[in-house]
Amino acid sequence: MSESAPVTAETEELRIKAQKRRNVWLAWSLVAFVVIVGLTTAIRIQETDFSGGDRLYFSGYMDEAAKEKADREAQARIQARLEAEADQSESAEPSNE
Amino acid sequence: MSSELTLSQAAPRLATARDYFDLLKPRIMGLVVFTALAGLIAAVGVSGQSINPVLATVSILAVALGSGAAGALNMWYDADIDAVMTRTSTRPVPAGAIPKDEALTLGLIMSGVSVLLMWIASNVLAAGLLAVSIAYYGWFYTMVLKRRTAQNIVIGGAAGAFPPVIGWAAVTGTTPVDAWILFAIIFVWTPPHFWALSLVAHKEYKKAGVPMMPVTNGAKTTREQIFLYTLLLAPVGALPVITGLSGWVYAITCAALTLGFIYHAHKVWRSDAGEPDAGADERKIAMSMFGFSILYLFGVFAAIIVEHGFGLYIPVGGV
Repeated sequence: MSESAPVTAETEELRIKAQKRRNVWLAWSLVAFVVIVGLTTAIRIQETDFSGGDRLYFSGYMDEAAKEKADREAQARIQARLEAEADQSESAEPSNE
Repeated sequence: MSSELTLSQAAPRLATARDYFDLLKPRIMGLVVFTALAGLIAAVGVSGQSINPVLATVSILAVALGSGAAGALNMWYDADIDAVMTRTSTRPVPAGAIPKDEALTLGLIMSGVSVLLMWIASNVLAAGLLAVSIAYYGWFYTMVLKRRTAQNIVIGGAAGAFPPVIGWAAVTGTTPVDAWILFAIIFVWTPPHFWALSLVAHKEYKKAGVPMMPVTNGAKTTREQIFLYTLLLAPVGALPVITGLSGWVYAITCAALTLGFIYHAHKVWRSDAGEPDAGADERKIAMSMFGFSILYLFGVFAAIIVEHGFGLYIPVGGV
């Protein structure tokens, strides 16, 4: 608003009403922002495999070397688990006989 | 003309929600969101990677907010020339509804919020590209190019070309050649699109001292440039088919729209649009081209969305 605008009781009332409406819009915008950030963060946490080397808020694809290293480690863990399971089943077989 | 003079001339009025909406340049925002969505959907279709629908929605929302922020910064800085031109004199800042400082503050806050949202919803590359595109339009085009060179639209057109690349990066965290092809389509499309409008509004640009092509190089040169850029758009528009990014739906849609675009550009080239003695018919020819250019962009990106979003991709035999 220009400073040269004449201020009357009526215009002042209208100005305060408009300001209140803006405040309500601002409040709702802040609420929406908080909800969006919260929801997004919850989804990102849910989808992030921290044990696999992923980093929250950074795409794993941004660092190919780290991703490949994490993939190799994940493969090694799977392989080790499979081998351990195979060993367990082999050691369990003689006792059944 | 100074901004102080602009504001004192405007009949002040109380801002409405509509004024704040208009400050964000909603029509530009619509095209930006649409092309970003096309980039996002194409990235999913081409790369085979997926994105959580909520994160995709937030990413697109971030692009919309970024576009709005750049629009607010543009209206803050251009309030003085907007007040001079009839077409833009009713915008919220020159109309005295929204103070300049408020437009600047809103633009800066929304810029930060949009980049932050993009970062948390996708990745740092997409957020960085969004920040670059906001700065490119809000600072480089608005404050550096627009009042200095007749090539403002050509160079500044890159700002509007970023959205599909951002959408693509939001999904994959990378920007492959296909994403930059979508960038190139919008980049080459922008000059004939905007110059068609400037042929009609050249007197106003002259009055405001903005060196648009028709003001600095004349209407004839502008019409030639419009036709040449439209011809250049034909092979650029075909690139998605050549690389295999797009299939038959896009190929047919793009071919039809390109022919229509060339037809309109040829009509403009042969007309007297933008000349001092140009009449209503010339104005109509230029505005028809402007309207068709919007249809072109909407059509080709809609074809990409249809192919990759609705499983209608039938390869033409790209490389």
